[in-house]
Amino acid sequence: MNATATNPGMMNLGITNIGQISIIAHDTPRATAFYRDVLGLPLLFTAGNMAFFDCGGVRLMLGPASAPELDHPSSILYFRVPDIQAAHRRLVEMGVKIEAPPRLIAPMKSYDLWMVGFRDCEGNIMQLMSEVPRS
Amino acid sequence: MMNMPEGTTLSRIGQIAINAHDVDRATAFYSDVLGLKHLFRAGQLSFFDCGGVRLMLDKPEKPEFDHPSSIIYFQVGDIRAAHRRIRDAGAKFEDEPHVIAQMPTYDLWMTFFRDTEGNLLALMSEVPRVA
Repeated sequence: MNATATNPGMMNLGITNIGQISIIAHDTPRATAFYRDVLGLPLLFTAGNMAFFDCGGVRLMLGPASAPELDHPSSILYFRVPDIQAAHRRLVEMGVKIEAPPRLIAPMKSYDLWMVGFRDCEGNIMQLMSEVPRS
Repeated sequence: MMNMPEGTTLSRIGQIAINAHDVDRATAFYSDVLGLKHLFRAGQLSFFDCGGVRLMLDKPEKPEFDHPSSIIYFQVGDIRAAHRRIRDAGAKFEDEPHVIAQMPTYDLWMTFFRDTEGNLLALMSEVPRVA
């Protein structure tokens, strides 16, 4: 079901992709260090109290909330990794708080979907995910 | 960026969770108004595709998780037309489309709106500057 199917007369918006996601950080330098050094994401640039990262073509914007109503935890972002066990070990070694150890979330047709939950330095819950081919 | 041990690189974002208090209502909004491709429904969970990233609409189970979504910025070709289309569908806008940053080769336009669940979202468009 999509807009053209349900509302044939209405124009599709033409959303092509997600360009950016905002993540509230109470301490931008601390969050910048975490996303760069622990998660290993490329830092694109900083602008004032904001830091911009790239994750596979989607920009992550870290910075303080511009209004009190926006000062809440982030959506859970699920980052893809090739080797979830190795990535989990690295998070543990870096002292990251693990919320849920690596576990099989869903057996799909040709692969198993694994996830591990953790918190970033700002208290946001995030996940790593990996599609492990079934042999 | 540090050298990451093999296999630990965060290659891309596979999925984003978005809280919805009424998953049916939110599913209608994301498919009929935003025009995103609905992938499947699994109980309380409703999955969409947006350019290779999966959006998961989910009803928060615990009060700790019951907060608005991160602002997700959807890229569109024609931000004025998309703004009109969403407004005409009855969604509440916070502002009009406006230039938020002038980049070397394009102007970055944005406009902010709310989904049916009160989440603040944005449209963004990179409009090439005519030389």
